[in-house]
Amino acid sequence: MSRRPWGVRHPFVSLLLLALLALFGWGWSERVALRAFPDILSAYSAKEYCSCRYVMHNAAEYCEGYVQQYLPLKSLHDDAEHKRVSASGLGRSHSAVWLSERQGCRLEP
Amino acid sequence: MLKGSTLLLALLFMLPPAWAENWPATQWSTGPAASGPALEALEAYAFAPRNEATRLGIRSDALLVIRDGLLIYERYAGPTSADTPHLTWSISKSLLAAVLGVAYGEGRFQLHDKAVRFLPALRQHPDISLADLLHWASGLDWQEDYEYAPLKSSVVAMLYTRGHGDMATFTAEHPAFSPPGQVFRYSSGDSNLLSAALKGMLGAQRYADYPWQALFEPLGITHAVWESDATGTFVGSSYAYLTARDLARVGLLMLRDGRWGERQLLPRDWVEFSRTPFAGYQANQDELVPGGHWWLNRAVGGAPSPWPDAPADTFAALGHWGQALYVIPSAGLVIVRYADDRDGSYSHNELLKLAQEAFARQVQP
Repeated sequence: MSRRPWGVRHPFVSLLLLALLALFGWGWSERVALRAFPDILSAYSAKEYCSCRYVMHNAAEYCEGYVQQYLPLKSLHDDAEHKRVSASGLGRSHSAVWLSERQGCRLEP
Repeated sequence: MLKGSTLLLALLFMLPPAWAENWPATQWSTGPAASGPALEALEAYAFAPRNEATRLGIRSDALLVIRDGLLIYERYAGPTSADTPHLTWSISKSLLAAVLGVAYGEGRFQLHDKAVRFLPALRQHPDISLADLLHWASGLDWQEDYEYAPLKSSVVAMLYTRGHGDMATFTAEHPAFSPPGQVFRYSSGDSNLLSAALKGMLGAQRYADYPWQALFEPLGITHAVWESDATGTFVGSSYAYLTARDLARVGLLMLRDGRWGERQLLPRDWVEFSRTPFAGYQANQDELVPGGHWWLNRAVGGAPSPWPDAPADTFAALGHWGQALYVIPSAGLVIVRYADDRDGSYSHNELLKLAQEAFARQVQP
């Protein structure tokens, strides 16, 4: 009598392994987007806060609410003297700086 | 014979003379203010009480109406005032089209020119023409979703992560999903390819001042901001800022077929192209029908006009979170609406319906 295949004897573990494999495959195919994903929150917040504050000339308190997302930021720092805004969240940090009357704000590299 | 020419003469006297046309100088001249229940209904719709905690519902920052060249209504809310250069988001795309129109009038390019001629980054996609980009029909495999699919969104990656240093090159690195010029797919990337192509036509130095020199200054716009990426390419897709009063000047320019006073700033055939539906558009693919980087309320493919309560000649520049510049030539109206709409409550059609009731031309007694 031949033994039944391993996968038939362990159906739940097999399904879990299959799901993990699929997840890994998806993660690999989306690796570029996934690596950049945690940057969105802090980059968006720094850039749009800078423009809200120094291009549209809105109040600091309003601009804090304006950039608020469902995920909270760890910190948002506005260096008013240099018109430079730094934001941290999801383990990443980004900053944007005001350049001139016509050029407004730009995200730093 | 005498009778015919007398009639012609009489008809000529009935036409409004050219000097009676109203144009703004440093400020807009004002016309008769509207009042009454129609205006109240419009204000109740556009300026419902704001909730800054939930940010739900219709949240207008500004509403401004020009009729026949005169300012007849203006109201601001939230943090916005008449002096605020408000973020226009994707209205920037139509502003870019107007800037390109001036360059077109200077003979710097033809619509059928391949974009790669001005933008070497497009060498992998040598068949994309400037007209294709203006129609958002590059055929590049672009994902425009903003908030709901941030992982897959090309536009979020372009503005904030992988693309922000050089948005045109980031866009050009996308593979094609279709040959150019055939399929409409709304793409902020296409707009930034146009912006970078303009830099190629002008050279970086000339380009840096061009939107002001070509468009804003001739229109008397004094406080425009246009942010650029690290290579100096204007973010033509998203980042122009104007006061509501200044954006209305661009609306009046388009209402009057590209003419500003005595000067034909945009060639008539350019404006015609801007307002002609893209032939590859399928009904209901988007909010309105795409023309040349402007949106048209036109019936196509057996579908009715997308905004049934607005005249069929209505066209618009539209942006994220409810920004809008509406032009209704048949009613002489230019309407600017700035907003901070964070949900889908706002309806362009409803606003235009109420605005037409409030601001229709008075019938002469």
